[in-house]
Amino acid sequence: MAELAGVYAASHGPMIVRNWEKLAPAEKDSLTSAFSELGNRIRAARPEALIVISPDHWVNFFIDNLPAICVGVGEAHEGPPEPWLKAFPHRSLRGHLALAEHIVRTAIERDFEPSVSYRLALDHGFCIPLWKTGVDPLLPIVPVLFNDLEPPYPSVRRCFDWGTMLAAAVASYPGYLRVAILATGGLSHSIGEPTMGRIDEAFDRECIRCFERGNPHALIDFLNERLPGAGNGASEVRNWVAAHGAARGRGFELIRYDPIPDVYVGCGFASWNIS
Amino acid sequence: MRDYWVSKLFFDSQSPPLAEEYRAGRKKVLDRYPLKPEVRAAVESDDVAYLSALVNPYLLRFYFLTAGMPEEDFLRRIRATAAPPATKAAHG
Repeated sequence: MAELAGVYAASHGPMIVRNWEKLAPAEKDSLTSAFSELGNRIRAARPEALIVISPDHWVNFFIDNLPAICVGVGEAHEGPPEPWLKAFPHRSLRGHLALAEHIVRTAIERDFEPSVSYRLALDHGFCIPLWKTGVDPLLPIVPVLFNDLEPPYPSVRRCFDWGTMLAAAVASYPGYLRVAILATGGLSHSIGEPTMGRIDEAFDRECIRCFERGNPHALIDFLNERLPGAGNGASEVRNWVAAHGAARGRGFELIRYDPIPDVYVGCGFASWNIS
Repeated sequence: MRDYWVSKLFFDSQSPPLAEEYRAGRKKVLDRYPLKPEVRAAVESDDVAYLSALVNPYLLRFYFLTAGMPEEDFLRRIRATAAPPATKAAHG
């Protein structure tokens, strides 16, 4: 039986890397300390494998074949294809094949229908948090891609249920393994829309309060009402909802929230109380 | 509603070799995509507002970044597509 060692969330805005040199010193410090604290917490939990939940930013999938949720079951996955992420130190990321296959089996047994991929390219959504948290060497990962970019999206409730299922899969994994879950993306941001650059700080802070309080029903109701108005990038909060489900809705501790205009994102970092 | 072929063009333009070819000369690349005449005209004239109704917003942003449009220019153009604020109703 494996053990859920930790559940975490982190923003992954590309401008954290692309625009780094133009950020104010205080903004750099804020991001650096948040990623560093998150990395410390992940290391302290001593995971041996990492389930990372992130969207696909039009790297693996297109509108001729766009899965709602895809689990990476390969032995290895490719590093980020973005030209501006050439400094990311890994061209290949090791997958945890046995855990990935067990997650897919558990999903099917519990009436979920994931698609699978034997080789994914892992874009900035995966690689910026993995890089900036400084967890080195990289842990073998199971990438789980949620469609947060192009409607129809998986429902918020379904994302919560996915998280619950992931925790069950970890608990029933045959063999001892410490597993952590990292959800990336969010909070509010708007990309390629008329509101591009707007950060909905009021939404973000209320969203954070909902996650802190724990109550999944209140969180889901809040997001169903407010998510559509918080910018298209806020859709990535679905990944955080899955993490919330994996943590059985026990509420998280906010590590940092910082709305940074030059990153275009309400940047959030958190770890769930799972003990 | 998405326009498949302009979405496909924007998706493909993320490939560095294609992006390089595109920046060197759009016509040759555009000829490979069966774009509707009005959509091709919008691409050729960098009509952000028109194209924003046809493609995913992320792909729109990626494309114009790849095509070399400065970020400030893109921001100005996409923000200009916002519906004007409703005028206050007259009372009295």
